[in-house]
Amino acid sequence: MNKDRIVTLTVPAEPEYIDLVRLTLYGIASKLKFTFEDIEDMKVAVSEACNNAVLHAYGGENGSIEVRFASDAEELSITVKDFGRSFSVERRSESPALHGKSVDEIQSGGLGLYLMQALMDRVEVEHEGGTAVTMTKKRQTTEESA
Amino acid sequence: MATNKIALRTENLEGRTIVHIGGEFDLEAAGDVRAALEPLIERTEAGLTLNLRELKYIDSTGIGILIGVVKARHSRSAAFDVEEVPPHIRKLFDMTGISPFLAKSEPKSSPVGIKGEE
Repeated sequence: MNKDRIVTLTVPAEPEYIDLVRLTLYGIASKLKFTFEDIEDMKVAVSEACNNAVLHAYGGENGSIEVRFASDAEELSITVKDFGRSFSVERRSESPALHGKSVDEIQSGGLGLYLMQALMDRVEVEHEGGTAVTMTKKRQTTEESA
Repeated sequence: MATNKIALRTENLEGRTIVHIGGEFDLEAAGDVRAALEPLIERTEAGLTLNLRELKYIDSTGIGILIGVVKARHSRSAAFDVEEVPPHIRKLFDMTGISPFLAKSEPKSSPVGIKGEE
């Protein structure tokens, strides 16, 4: 896909920089006239990808996260890339969601990826010199419908 | 690095402890929230309520901590609930399926039907 508008942000892979990614996302998505709800969805999804990079990519060493926002008329794609050891995004046969489970069965593992997939239209994961997660949200045409 | 992005305030009211969590409950805030809640989890004589009226943001980090509190209070047979959940946070709770575990648990666990009788 050929997206012609690109903004790139690189931050240290540390928890206190993830809000900076959210702020940037908010700015870009507002400019593109995404709805409040879509922006909230993307904020969570993008943070989840950053959380994974912060927690798993560098094994306690210093590292960075590159976040690339690419948009065209139809959609916004956000790629969260680290340059650490690639971690396997856990896939399990059982759903990580808590629906229908008892208190003894519930646990938090896997909820991050689950939310990314639930909140975005597309999620792609690549492992090549680190992990790159690309999440895409389609732009809804909400205005001037009245 | 100290931050005040997360706001925590505790009040005691009629036999329950209410913790107001405001701001952004994310990876950065996780340690602070956990430290604030840990001693309260052990106070089984008092109910524990989290008030989320001022909460602006949560993700799986925060939801994971809530799951931990649900399990800890359940294993101690101690009351726990979450109140005043803003709509965009309620959406995430519903999506992950944690919502029913955050509702007020009645002391005697009678299954509550919406309709009293068929």
